[in-house]
This record gives sequence, C-alpha cells and structure tokens, in this order.
Amino acid sequence: MADVKLTIAGRPYDVHCADGEESQLIHLASVVDEKVRTMPGGTEVRQLLFAALMLADEAQEARGKVEKAEPQSDSLRAAVALAESREAAARDELKAAIAREQAALKELQAARDAAPTAPATVNPTHNRALMQIADRIETLATKVEQLP
Amino acid sequence: MELDLDESSLAIGRIERALSRIEKALGDRANRPAPAVAAPAADQSALKAEVAAVIGELDRLIAEADRG
Repeated sequence: MADVKLTIAGRPYDVHCADGEESQLIHLASVVDEKVRTMPGGTEVRQLLFAALMLADEAQEARGKVEKAEPQSDSLRAAVALAESREAAARDELKAAIAREQAALKELQAARDAAPTAPATVNPTHNRALMQIADRIETLATKVEQLP
Repeated sequence: MELDLDESSLAIGRIERALSRIEKALGDRANRPAPAVAAPAADQSALKAEVAAVIGELDRLIAEADRG
C-alpha cells in the first residue's frame, strides 16, 4: 500500500491506495479540488457537497452519452463482422479459382505430354496419299507458272 | 510412328507452298497484258481436269480422315 497526501479545499488528507495508483489518485483529488474552488461560498462541508453533486451530475451525463453511443458501436461492430465474412468468402473464392486454374493447367500439360504417344490416329495410307497429292499440286503449280 | 506425323506435316507444308505458288502465278497472270499466243485449248482442259482430280482426291482423303 502507498500513502498519499492530498489537499482538497485547503485541507490536507492522508489517503492509502494500491501501489502504482498514486498518480491517478492525485489527479482525481485535483479534479475534486478544482470543482470545490468553483463552488460559491459557504461552509467547507457545503462546498464539498455541491462539488460532489456537480461531479455526480457530470458522471451521469457521461454515462448517458456512452449508452447512446453503444447502438452505434454495435452497428459498427456488425459492419466490421460483415466485411470480415465477405473478405473471407472472397478469399475462399479466389483460392477455388486458383485451384481450378491449376487443375486445368495440369490437364493441359498431361494432354501435351500424351500427344506424342498417341500415334494410333495416324494412318500411314493417308500420309502416302497426302504425299502423292503434294506431288501432283507441285506439278500443277509448275504448269500454271509456265502458262503463257 | 512419329515419322508418319512428320511425313503428314511435310506433305501439308508442300501442299501449302504449292498452292501459294499457284495463287501467285495466277495473280501475276491477271495483272499482266493478255499474251499474243494463248495456251492450247487441250492443255488448258488437261490442267482443269488435273485440278478437279486433285480436289476430288483431297475431298476423299478428308472424308476418310473424318470417318477415322
């Protein structure tokens, strides 16, 4: 425990508080002292009474403001939660799209790898026929080029 | 079997080049004045018949390839 010496309305007070809370207590005493000094004359007890009433009024007013602000902060919290869930959904969609792209790429690669090993569709007869047609068209080209 | 693939590619390349030669020759011919001496009618008919025959052969080949 710590001992703190406070002065409020010109009167000293010795107060105990938990270690580490000394500066906070001194600050609170200065708030009370300032409030007492603004009270009109009368006895010290009367000044302290009015100061206490004024501080209680201010505390109540502050509490009312907090309560009014709570619904707004609830809305903000809901908006943040909604944005977070949308972001998570978008991230999932993106991941799924990347997975689809990778799968398609793999399929393409597999098809490309398989292409040289699929000679069953090649027909040697067709190749020979194509070669013969190439011969005939080349001959035709020569003839056309030699036309007068 | 890869040789077969190469053969078909080679043949198609030759056909494409020959067709380009024909196209160019016909284009040049259309752009120059008419020759004093025309090609004999028999030669022209033979040429047309050969063109028709080659086209027919190509059609047959394409149809066969389509059937697999």
